Amino acid sequence: MANTKPAGKSGYRYLVEYDRRIIYLLIFILVLAPLLQPFILPIQVSPDTTTYYNVLNGLKKDDKVLVVFDTEFSGYMEIQSGIIASIRMMFQHEVKVAIAVAHVEATGIPQLVFDQLASVMQEHNYVYGVNYINLGYVFPNEAAVAASAQDFHTVVRQDAYGKSITGTFLDDVKDWSSWTLLSDYTTGIQSTALINHYGLKGTPMIANVIGVMISTSAPYVSSGIYKALLGSMRGGAELEYLTGYPGPGLTAMNSFTLGHYMLMIAIVLGNVGYFGYRSYQNKLKAQEVK
Amino acid sequence: MVDIIEISITAVGAFLAICMFTTLYGKSNPLYALAEESYIGFGTALTVIWNLLFIYNTGVLGITQAGKYALIFGILFGLMVLLRVSNKYSYVARIPIAIAIGSQFGLALRTTIFTGFLDQIRGTILPLLTGSTQQMIYNWTIALAVILMLTFFFYTTELKGPLGVSSKIGEYVMYAAFGGIFAQTFMGRLSLFVGFMQNYMVPPWKIPWLLGSLIVVFGAVIVLDRMHLLEKLTPEE
Repeated sequence: MANTKPAGKSGYRYLVEYDRRIIYLLIFILVLAPLLQPFILPIQVSPDTTTYYNVLNGLKKDDKVLVVFDTEFSGYMEIQSGIIASIRMMFQHEVKVAIAVAHVEATGIPQLVFDQLASVMQEHNYVYGVNYINLGYVFPNEAAVAASAQDFHTVVRQDAYGKSITGTFLDDVKDWSSWTLLSDYTTGIQSTALINHYGLKGTPMIANVIGVMISTSAPYVSSGIYKALLGSMRGGAELEYLTGYPGPGLTAMNSFTLGHYMLMIAIVLGNVGYFGYRSYQNKLKAQEVK
Repeated sequence: MVDIIEISITAVGAFLAICMFTTLYGKSNPLYALAEESYIGFGTALTVIWNLLFIYNTGVLGITQAGKYALIFGILFGLMVLLRVSNKYSYVARIPIAIAIGSQFGLALRTTIFTGFLDQIRGTILPLLTGSTQQMIYNWTIALAVILMLTFFFYTTELKGPLGVSSKIGEYVMYAAFGGIFAQTFMGRLSLFVGFMQNYMVPPWKIPWLLGSLIVVFGAVIVLDRMHLLEKLTPEE
């Protein structure tokens, strides 16, 4: 807490120099407990998430959506609720979905998503190549993103499993203008490139970003490049609530609430300890001078 | 029925992830080193394989199937970069690197003016007198905060009088923004942790593997620490 090693006896001393591992342990317990015994409380839906929901709700059958997993696997942990809820909505609207990956660690995510949404896909008769396709790692850098926006088939010739994409619904895709929507799930790897080469040209874009990116992504909503923005796991939970399919987002909200309460208490205690101990030391010095 | 492959993935994943978490114990330890090195090895291999596949799909198939012979130059430039490891011919690598930097610069420059500058300004020019009361409050807050904070960054004039007041308020608005960003960052990091925990707790058959790994790994670290073996067994960086 304080930079200097405290000396002397004081009630504040413990608050200044306690073992930080206690905080880690408390966070672990506070996150674990609600997950062991999950319960779902109603949450308030923000206007941002409502706009995001409305954009997805406006999709029509056979619209073409380019989904980009622009994240490391660790980032997927944070935005998986948004990914699942969004793609569920796309499948429910029977749109054609192409999944592209912009980080090698995300190459396993499409299969995880398909596994979790297998029942919805079955219900709406989703056929690989006709209604959806997994393109794999096709956006390693800005040059690839730019080239795909100009001529999609220059960059993408095979899907993630090595099969030619000829004969799939991607035959109709020529460039950036062929997509009804670009949905970016991002930790910021190629998001700027996607904005530069798709969003600025006119492809409608939505994004589900991690918590640290919310403030920097918000201006793109005001300027109209993003049609809507879904923020972190909280946004995912709100979308789950709106769609009526509770998932990992909603069950995590209690862990969040407890974790955030703990942070607030830690900040208050830390400040009480710091200022209290400083005042105690000043008193000691004054006594020594006397 | 859960198959053996899924159990193996969960068991190894939970064990290595908890090994990574031992960094919170505050001391170097061999289990953390094991997880770290495993991750680096796995990550490097994955990157190499996927990028080679990308080169094959885009470059090789582009030439052989689509007849786009200009891609030969791309492959040649790529091979020239490999000469960087040669003492004698390393200068050759500078040519494709220069081309890559130049083209990347050209690609980004045209659009960065819009995304990084013009659209950011457009994003702050908002209707102040129309829309719902809530929206008007949001828009006024954004507009005023931008103006006040910008006055804080006037470096070539003395900040006194109304400008001084404005910059002072701007400074405090900035502190409030830092607080907001810090809270968002905490939420983001907590999301990562909650997401990880959910991944190893749903479905419930995974819970014993997570808790078992936790007890075994942290137990081992504490025992090794008590026996003063942590430093001895941890490989040097």
